[in-house]
Amino acid sequence: MPISSEIIRNVTSSLYEWSLKKVPDDTKRLLAQAERRETVQLGKQTLRIMVEAAEAAEAENHLVCSDVGVPTYMIRVGTRVTFSGNVRQAIVDGFADLVARANPPILKMVTNPLTLQRSYEGKNMPLVTFDMIDGADYMEIVCAPKAMGTGRWEAIETFVYPSLETIEKYVLDTVLRAGSQPCPPIVVGVGIGGTFDYAAKMAKECVLRPFGERNPEPVLAAMEERLLKAINATGFGPMGTGGDTTAMAVHIDYSASHGFMPVAVAFNCWINRRTCARIYEDGTVVRVE
Amino acid sequence: MNTHRLTLPVSEADISAIRAGDIVYLSGDIVVTIGLPTHQRMIDYAEQGKPLPIDIRGGAFLHLSSYNRESNTPSGYEALYMNPTTSTRYDALMPSLIRAYGLRIVGGKGGLGEESVAAMRETGCIYLSFLGGGCTLLARAIQEVVSVHWEDYISQFRLVTLRVKDLGPATVGIDAHGNSLYRQLRDDAKRRLPTILDELNRDRERALR
Repeated sequence: MPISSEIIRNVTSSLYEWSLKKVPDDTKRLLAQAERRETVQLGKQTLRIMVEAAEAAEAENHLVCSDVGVPTYMIRVGTRVTFSGNVRQAIVDGFADLVARANPPILKMVTNPLTLQRSYEGKNMPLVTFDMIDGADYMEIVCAPKAMGTGRWEAIETFVYPSLETIEKYVLDTVLRAGSQPCPPIVVGVGIGGTFDYAAKMAKECVLRPFGERNPEPVLAAMEERLLKAINATGFGPMGTGGDTTAMAVHIDYSASHGFMPVAVAFNCWINRRTCARIYEDGTVVRVE
Repeated sequence: MNTHRLTLPVSEADISAIRAGDIVYLSGDIVVTIGLPTHQRMIDYAEQGKPLPIDIRGGAFLHLSSYNRESNTPSGYEALYMNPTTSTRYDALMPSLIRAYGLRIVGGKGGLGEESVAAMRETGCIYLSFLGGGCTLLARAIQEVVSVHWEDYISQFRLVTLRVKDLGPATVGIDAHGNSLYRQLRDDAKRRLPTILDELNRDRERALR
């Protein structure tokens, strides 16, 4: 049975709402662990309030943050899936549905870059990317609303035959530039290689990787660990007012490239918005997180 | 790390006793907006000698985004929630604004630049860092919407006065004596950077061995 537009609309609408009201479980756990380890009193208190704020939003079905960002969806379509209607339009309708029914209502954040006017809709909104999953009988939808707090500090630079040292220093410099401002502790995603657009996409996907999963390649797994340690030695701390917890995780991926080598650095703030659901060919919907 | 419970309006002496790193809870009337054009209009009014629709002299002016729904209240609005935004994007405008209106308390999250720190020292003003993502907790402090002005803007860009009780905890990021946690942490991080990079290099060599 093909997947209907109606199901896609409902799922994209729900994913957006969940991502605004629920901090992922792994993130809440990690914040609580960080609170126990934090040695700076102010940082410890801030982490404690973060956990409290996440729990309060969930319990009261309220927004974690007022900046609901712009809607971004990453879609992966199984090759055994068929559709009975339009997919792209269903996602546009899903966001419109959320705007119409959100309780509490959400603020206008979608901004026309040419006029700086804000509304609930705009050219290419929601921002959607599509990929394929060979052999799967489901489509996977990841929703990650993106706001200015972290979006403003993400960066990409194209190097020529960079050493690992150059790449790591660039990541650290990008974190230092953001400093106190992106609502730390942040999640840092790094995409190395590919092309300009591909590096950025990898960085974004890395940000959304669940905690505890290391890159399967030992070289990158070790890089993730040492960069996390380095970032936490900067001392910006929770909300950038000082502490040992500036980042919750560093996730890195790479693609083969040419001699020119883009390195992209993406961030998520402490509330770590990300939700995911699968819609199966038979119409079953499974919430992954 | 002292805790201060402030009731607005506050005096210069109240502000002078507070230090960067302290905790503050606010009660009374605060003015909130996150509109860049709102900041510019406020400065234009000051330059033209035109009075604002509300008196913010010596008051608390905060970069808090708020959703205010029309309702059957004296102000015509009820506030559903509020939450801080990054203050540094107003860096170019805040020094003029702080001086023009002699602000006592500014805030949001992420801090302000050195020109603002200097202006705050002149007027006797502190910067408060609220919890980003604290929407649900901060909303509990809202008692009522006192007024909403400049309704030609979208909700969060309007000049909104909210009556709050025990709004906080907020961290004092910058005090009126020129101390800034943001400058201090940035300087510390820069100073540590060579050591951090050395350690990173050692860890890498060990991993690749």
